[in-house]
Amino acid sequence: MSVLARRVSLSFGLIAIILGLTLAGNGVWIKAKAVVAQVLLERAFAETVKTGVPIKAWRWADTRPVARIRSERLGDSAIVLAGGSGEAMAFGPGHLSGTPRPGQPGTAVIAAHRDTHFRFLKHLRRGDELSIERDDGMRFRFQVSGYNIVRWDTPGIDVTADGHNLVLATCWPFEAKTSGPLRYVVHAQMIE
Amino acid sequence: MSPLPHLARLPVLILVVLVVSARTLFASPLVNPNDARTGSLMIKSETPGQYVEAPAVATDFDVTVTGPIIRTRLTQYFVNPANGWVEGLYVFPLPEDAAVDTLKMVVGERIIIGDVKERIEAKRIYEKAKSDGKKAALVEQHRPNLFTNSVANIGPGETVVVQIEFQATVRQSNGKFSFRLPTVVAPRFETPDAPQPVVSVSSEAPAAVDNKQQLPDAKPWLDPDDNDPVNPINITVHLKPGFKVAALMSPHHKIEALERDGEHRITLSKMDFADKDFELEWTAAALDVPQAKLFRERSGNEDYVLVQVTPPAAAKTTPAPAREAIFVIDNSGSMAGPSMVQAKASLIEALDRLQPGDTFNIVRFDDTLEVLFPTVVAADAGNISTAKRFVASLDAEGGTNMVPALAAALKMDTQSNPAAIRQVIFLTDGAISGEQQMFNLIAQRRGRSRIFMVGIGSAPNSFLMNRAAEMGRGTFTHIGAAEQVAERMAELTSKLTSPAVTGLAANFSARGVKATPDPLPDVYAGEPLYIYARMDELEGKVTLSGLAGSDNWLKTVDLTKAEPGSGIAKLWARREIANTEVNRTLGTLNYKQADAMILKLALDHQLVSRLTSLIAIDKTPARPEGTPLRSVDIPLNLPAGWSFEKVFGSKTPVKEASAFKAIAVASKPRVHDAQRLLALPEGSTPADLLLIIGLLISLAGAASVTASRRMAS
Repeated sequence: MSVLARRVSLSFGLIAIILGLTLAGNGVWIKAKAVVAQVLLERAFAETVKTGVPIKAWRWADTRPVARIRSERLGDSAIVLAGGSGEAMAFGPGHLSGTPRPGQPGTAVIAAHRDTHFRFLKHLRRGDELSIERDDGMRFRFQVSGYNIVRWDTPGIDVTADGHNLVLATCWPFEAKTSGPLRYVVHAQMIE
Repeated sequence: MSPLPHLARLPVLILVVLVVSARTLFASPLVNPNDARTGSLMIKSETPGQYVEAPAVATDFDVTVTGPIIRTRLTQYFVNPANGWVEGLYVFPLPEDAAVDTLKMVVGERIIIGDVKERIEAKRIYEKAKSDGKKAALVEQHRPNLFTNSVANIGPGETVVVQIEFQATVRQSNGKFSFRLPTVVAPRFETPDAPQPVVSVSSEAPAAVDNKQQLPDAKPWLDPDDNDPVNPINITVHLKPGFKVAALMSPHHKIEALERDGEHRITLSKMDFADKDFELEWTAAALDVPQAKLFRERSGNEDYVLVQVTPPAAAKTTPAPAREAIFVIDNSGSMAGPSMVQAKASLIEALDRLQPGDTFNIVRFDDTLEVLFPTVVAADAGNISTAKRFVASLDAEGGTNMVPALAAALKMDTQSNPAAIRQVIFLTDGAISGEQQMFNLIAQRRGRSRIFMVGIGSAPNSFLMNRAAEMGRGTFTHIGAAEQVAERMAELTSKLTSPAVTGLAANFSARGVKATPDPLPDVYAGEPLYIYARMDELEGKVTLSGLAGSDNWLKTVDLTKAEPGSGIAKLWARREIANTEVNRTLGTLNYKQADAMILKLALDHQLVSRLTSLIAIDKTPARPEGTPLRSVDIPLNLPAGWSFEKVFGSKTPVKEASAFKAIAVASKPRVHDAQRLLALPEGSTPADLLLIIGLLISLAGAASVTASRRMAS
């Protein structure tokens, strides 16, 4: 009896360890993908800027790098991908289609995950500078004017608004572990 | 200009419109919603089962050509056949250099003259008049060659007449003079991440964009297979070229011409529909064309002058230099049908005209791209026959992703033959919206290449073509019908092979002259150079210099000999606006500076631009309070020869009226739709959660294993 209890306890323990490590491994994989992809994307982006031809970071990529966003004060930067699909956002911030490119009139919207590429969003303050380098080599500077918290389906962002605006969006609250309906939205305006 | 002669014509024209709209609207039993064909011209209303008939638009062009200047009066008749109040929104194209300056609205016996106002203000005034039940017309520019006319509060059974006037210039090439009136808007392929059309207050709510799908603008195009064409047009041209005309022809329409006292009056043989561009060509008898022509106009406190100089064709004594020709051919879905046939024929024609010693390559693109040879190859018999087989095998399908194809063509310059003239010949219908990306690419990477745009089909995007050719220092050739392929390609090839006058510069003896274009473009054999200049007081001379082949070319023109002309100030301003946009593209101006300059030019010269609109308001309310207003898009014809399925994929059941955007009530600004449509994606990954749960389970497992050990001991 005690032998049987010992065996059950041992095998349960081993299965739990394997299961747990698999799950944790998945979590690590997501983070690793986000980091490694950015390295490859950095290379593809530099090549795109140089040649003017959209370059895929890896052969089977279904998106392409369109810009680099950087906060000088925080020292964070990331390569922005075309489109806000889940696949794109696993590897980098996504420039939502249907919004103008950063630097064009209207409001450009870039979204990323709060626990990977846009972790630095919570540290951004009013007046902070953001720089954008586009794949056509054009550079723009934006200044953070404020932030708000909105529901995902009613963000109140006017993509045809006057001026040249940039909106960065991620999930909120920052420390939550499950996804919810709220988004943290940083607003910035182009400075000449 | 007195509006009275127009008023006299009005009853007749309205009658024509009513007859025509009766033909398009009521010819078949079109009033019964259950009839299959009925739906094509009906719009679902908010009450299920209730339908509103779409308003019809008839268009009348009255064109006066004086020397190189074209003044066009465009009259649109909005007919509301339904028994409710509607707002009409008509999308219409104009020549890409059109300077729109006048708007008149005829309500009953009264004529209301419109004003140019800053775009946002004009929109606000219009929205207010709309909700107050007043008649109002608003003309806005969406792209430099695409305009909308919104007319609010058209009463039941009523016709509202709106008149727009614009100025443009005659084209001249190889001794042939011509102009083109675009009458139809082609649906555009939105390239992924294309910048939206630059509109600060959008009347077209952006469609929910799925980036995997190729979405044309959400406009109500009718499938030509299922629908009779709508929107009749009538064209009258008064041609006063200033010289004796030898031949007069219209390649796409049957015309009738009458001559009296040196003026030719040209009309369409029969009423036509807005589904293909109107083109008129004329040639001069003998060598009657003067080498230089000058026109002047005083506006405000300044003099404006238009100098038209035709440099002589270069002597053909020296052998033509070798060419490195890169052909880029568009085989996207919008090219399906006659366009693809014409493009293939044009390319094969061009291949036949390559000379020994030339090199070439071919790039084909839809949403993918393919380069025929790994690098440029010699134009020998083997390579040319390989190329012809490749061209013959092309099928028109897929989206239009022009930028990478052009980038590939420009990047391919290996400098293997630095003495060769490098030419990129781009064959497309230009059905894309992301024009700015193309211009940026050309500005940054054109290098020594010259870019020649060949516009294919009945309605190519001539704004894109002209500007791309201008920035690429090449030319734009339009091929609208299969019969034109051989002739126009021969013309183009003779340009491509004969040296152009390059390195042109203009020196004015007077001071403080603002001349455009600056720098001057290359000029090709037989094409005139137009220079517009502004100065305080017209005086002095202008000296033109350049290289014709290897010879110096010099010409001095006395400006004081200019004849009086009209509209020159406006043409100068329109060019200046275009230059400002180019400078912004090239990065010499930023957005703010460019916008300020454009706004000032447009307001000073009363022009419609990206930042200004024309607005006319009837002060007397027409629509009784409490009566709802419906807002409807006017159905458009697809350009002639386009296939609905190829452009839009599977057939849209038009009878369900799903192709029409029925827009609810007048008081609701449509910008809110744009806000609602944008949804933010998920902003977090399950990574942390997975890590925590995973580690907790592992810990539990470890505890369990430890427990089993303890049991054993």
